[in-house]
Amino acid sequence: MRLAGRIGGAALSLLMVAVLGFFLFRVVPGDPVVSMTRGRPTTEALQAELRAQFGLDRPLHEQFWSYFTSLLQGDLGTSFTFRRPVSEVILERLGPTVLLVGTATLIAVLLGLWLGVRAAWRRDSAFDRVTTGVSLTLWAVPTFWLGMLLMMVTGDLFPSRGMRDTDTPPDFLSQALDVGHHLVLPSVTLVAVVCAEYALVMRSSLLEEMHAPYLTTARAKGLRDDLVRRRHAVPNAVLPAITLVFLRFGLVVAGAITTETVFSWPGLGLLFYDALTGPDYFLLQGLLVVTAGAVVVMNLLADVLHGVLDPRVKVV
Amino acid sequence: MSVFSRLGERRAGFLAHRAGVAGAVVLAVAALVSLLAPLFVPADALDVTRVTADAWQPPGAGHWLGTDHTGRSVALLMVQGTGTSLFVGLTAAVLSVGIGTLVGVVSGHFGGLLAGALLRVTDFFLVLPALVLAIALSTVLPRGLGTIILAIGLTSWPSTARMVRAQTLTIEARPFVERARALGGGHAHVIGRHVLPSVVPLVLVNATLAVASAIVAESTLAFLGLGDPTRISWGAMLHQAQLHGAVPQRAWWFLLPPGLAIVVVVLAFTLVGRALEAVVTPKR
Amino acid sequence: MLKVAIVQQIDSLNPFLAVFQSSTEIGRLMYDYLTAYTAADQSVTEGIANRWEPSPDKLTWTFTVPDGKKWSDGQPITAHDVAFTYDLMLTDEVARTANGSFVTNFESVTAPDDRTVVIRTKTPQVTMLALDVPIVPRHVWEKAGSIKDYANDRMPVVGSGPFVLTEHVPGQFIKLKANKNYWRGAPKYDELHFVYFQNSDAAVQALGKGEVDLVNRMAPAQFDSLEGKAGVTRNKAQGRRFTELMINPGAQTRTGVPIGDGAPQLKDVAVRRAIAQAIDLDALVQRVNLGYAVKGAGLVPPVFGKWHWQPGEAERRFDPAAANAALDAAGHPRGADGTRFGLRLIGRAGRAYDEQASEYLKRSMSDIGIALDVRLVSDNQLNEATTAATYDLAFSGWSTNIDPDFVLGLHTCAQRPGADGKGGTTDTYFCDEIYDRLYAQQLSEFDEAKRVEIVKQMQARFYDQVPAVVLAYENALEGYRSDHFARFTTQPAQGGVIMAQNGMWGYYGAEPAERTAQAQGSRWTGLAIGGVLIGGLVLVVVWMARRRGATAGERE
Repeated sequence: MRLAGRIGGAALSLLMVAVLGFFLFRVVPGDPVVSMTRGRPTTEALQAELRAQFGLDRPLHEQFWSYFTSLLQGDLGTSFTFRRPVSEVILERLGPTVLLVGTATLIAVLLGLWLGVRAAWRRDSAFDRVTTGVSLTLWAVPTFWLGMLLMMVTGDLFPSRGMRDTDTPPDFLSQALDVGHHLVLPSVTLVAVVCAEYALVMRSSLLEEMHAPYLTTARAKGLRDDLVRRRHAVPNAVLPAITLVFLRFGLVVAGAITTETVFSWPGLGLLFYDALTGPDYFLLQGLLVVTAGAVVVMNLLADVLHGVLDPRVKVV
Repeated sequence: MSVFSRLGERRAGFLAHRAGVAGAVVLAVAALVSLLAPLFVPADALDVTRVTADAWQPPGAGHWLGTDHTGRSVALLMVQGTGTSLFVGLTAAVLSVGIGTLVGVVSGHFGGLLAGALLRVTDFFLVLPALVLAIALSTVLPRGLGTIILAIGLTSWPSTARMVRAQTLTIEARPFVERARALGGGHAHVIGRHVLPSVVPLVLVNATLAVASAIVAESTLAFLGLGDPTRISWGAMLHQAQLHGAVPQRAWWFLLPPGLAIVVVVLAFTLVGRALEAVVTPKR
Repeated sequence: MLKVAIVQQIDSLNPFLAVFQSSTEIGRLMYDYLTAYTAADQSVTEGIANRWEPSPDKLTWTFTVPDGKKWSDGQPITAHDVAFTYDLMLTDEVARTANGSFVTNFESVTAPDDRTVVIRTKTPQVTMLALDVPIVPRHVWEKAGSIKDYANDRMPVVGSGPFVLTEHVPGQFIKLKANKNYWRGAPKYDELHFVYFQNSDAAVQALGKGEVDLVNRMAPAQFDSLEGKAGVTRNKAQGRRFTELMINPGAQTRTGVPIGDGAPQLKDVAVRRAIAQAIDLDALVQRVNLGYAVKGAGLVPPVFGKWHWQPGEAERRFDPAAANAALDAAGHPRGADGTRFGLRLIGRAGRAYDEQASEYLKRSMSDIGIALDVRLVSDNQLNEATTAATYDLAFSGWSTNIDPDFVLGLHTCAQRPGADGKGGTTDTYFCDEIYDRLYAQQLSEFDEAKRVEIVKQMQARFYDQVPAVVLAYENALEGYRSDHFARFTTQPAQGGVIMAQNGMWGYYGAEPAERTAQAQGSRWTGLAIGGVLIGGLVLVVVWMARRRGATAGERE
């Protein structure tokens, strides 16, 4: 029942995302066709053709209806810049983003949780203060600035752009090493920012947990401190923290946009940035719908996971 | 054991406050700098048409933070940028917290369809990646400080709304509010006399933290080229640094100061916010 | 192997749809045009066709496609391929997307035999040897189906140019291989890679590290940063671009109805001249372009030698005092605050030139009592404002072709929008009887010397009427790894560009240097660090897992 309500809510959110995506980019003054043809020979007839090609000559409600029905079929319209279906363009950029975001999230979660747990357990120790201080500082660091800084500091050690060199031998090992080499700076950047948040969340989550009476009981049973932490406190605190990873997915998305922009990482974030310099409204609209949709789904997952993992939770 | 832990807690509270005090001092300095900027910065010093220094001068005599791509003094740019960054951060936070408080109180106090709808909208905006939405808004609206403030303010209010709503619900469930209502207190009375006073401390904490994230958001939007290009802010400086090749030039003096300033000020706001939080929620 | 940095995306590999400069650049490597321009002096030379002949009435052009030219898959290139390409554009409106303007005046295109192409035009057309249309192989494209949906990505892509497209990973890179069948002879190296960069900053950095061999479109500061860098040679070339400041001359539609909200003062040519006179073009070039530009004058940049016009004695020298006097005389006295009237200046946010030059203009205008309200907006908003004529002053710029027809045509009355305010392709809303008459004349003047004369008169008229001030002809700033490539062919030979040519000579004529096997050192260090980092991470994970496992035995 609760699950059904959650799914219904998520569906409603998705619907709102779709509507927002359409109208946000339709209220803009301006004729996209003029942007498309700017700076090269064009004729009135050609402009009219383009307008018809993109359906821009039809009334708004018709445009919305066709947008909405095709959205349901997974069709996000045609990109002005690439003259190809937006869904296709987005799909081919998905891989690099998943790789970067996946790697960074994995490292950030492990590192963040570990730091958070240690800091919380030894509250007010030097370790805690350093971890909390560093985390708070990193949280204040603009992602793109950190990226530029790393680029400047590491100099020639790492490639300055992209995901692959074009002249790497085609065998798997060389390719993998090459991608790994390119991955270092962007993922370090993304980890630094995301990890700080996770560590702070985990720390406070565990601190709350530690006041729970059952821990006192466990200690009273004479269990070693270390064991109490590992066996009782951490599992109970980790679960909500992991769902938080899903909940804060928007944070990762934001980080990915700036990180990919700084390092020319050929994923969705860079595509987003490219779409801005047009701007390619259909592509932006598609990206908005897709990223917001992904976040909505992630949140739903977090909810479900939270309910499954933590039986104490009773959400309305 | 318990004595030790209580001692520890007191020390923690003290620490939090000390950090908060440090943060407050930093903020006071920043505010002072931005207010006194007109005194530091001669009228013509940042006018690219009147600048006489060479571009990309490393720090040294005369320009103790070096010069940018047009020969303007980075130190003066920093001073000039303080005001913009603080202004955007503060106003965006006020806007965001304002919307959040309004939505939170209304949806908490009035039940029914309105609350349901507001809650739905809040959840929706809570879920949307704020940066993505802010980017979308700033592409659509005309460039300018107002757009940036609007884009940040309109996308970051939901967490405040949620918190305020929860607090409102708690307060309204208290017996004294029930009593006030039974005695014929109208909506205005209940909200004005009971809900708002209890919500204000929370809102204050929220606002402080909101300024921190608004400043980071401003710098990010500016970096992506969506800022107000006619104004100097720390984010805009970093945008310029990237646009004009500070990294390949190894012009660290143009890249470091704005970033560090953002970090320090954002950190200061965060610390103050946390210290306030510790005071407001006495249990911690 | 030549690795080239590109900053702009590839919009499409389909030459009928591709409009981005980066895409047409790669298109030039894949497909020859009917005719080409030499590297030395940009004169017309052999392309797919090696001979051409207009009829006496100039309405029928006969092109000859010689024997022996082959597509990259070994099929012969014939006149039928040419006719097929043009026919496709004449019959399919989608195929006109990118290069439609070249065929609007075509009546018919036929290929009576394998060697002969006959093009009939509706009116005499002087640009028949400047048809920048990639000729595609009929045997591939007749099976293409809908042009709109044809991505042209069946690798290797059959073409006629010096290189064959073999791989494209969107947002990352494009790989081409030398075309061994190329009729001018295969290039001197095997592979040509275009590597995508998000900004020129990263590209310049990569050039410094030797990750790429060739970079263009550098900002002046970036160009300066490479000075004296070992292994890097810089090329300061004459560009094809000019930057202008448009002055709304009182925009009207084609039917003479005023549109937009341009300041009424600007309808007076005396005011426009005064504004132009108050701008110190030399200072702009020095401070904004850091000297990497030539002061603006006419609509055709100096790189196109004979078409370029200089004002000579008619030059409006920078003279704020004279400008002030002219404004006084024009009936715009200074108010109590010293201001005569206010104007809006629109530019593009994020374009370094606009951001800086607007500061100068603000100052220059305030010196003559005009308060400038600078608005830097997105590309789209800028286009909207200039199309709807809701501007007073605006930055604009054009990349010009070898034939000046296009850039001159932008300023004719007919380019203004129709009665509904739509469909305008005008640049400046300029509409001048004399200019239009000259434009029509040059379009049918087949004696080149006479045509050059008319084109110069047009530029003089434009300069005199100032619907726009040409601010500068920017240099194209390029850099290459001279330790990897010894020589590139520039166009034109003197002070020419390597990339963004009217041709493919830069890439085609590149000569590899004896490569030394150093510079790989730092890369391996980096790889090693990356490996250690990843290895260390794995170790930490394993260690944590093992610790968990070990303590699991101590259950209570």
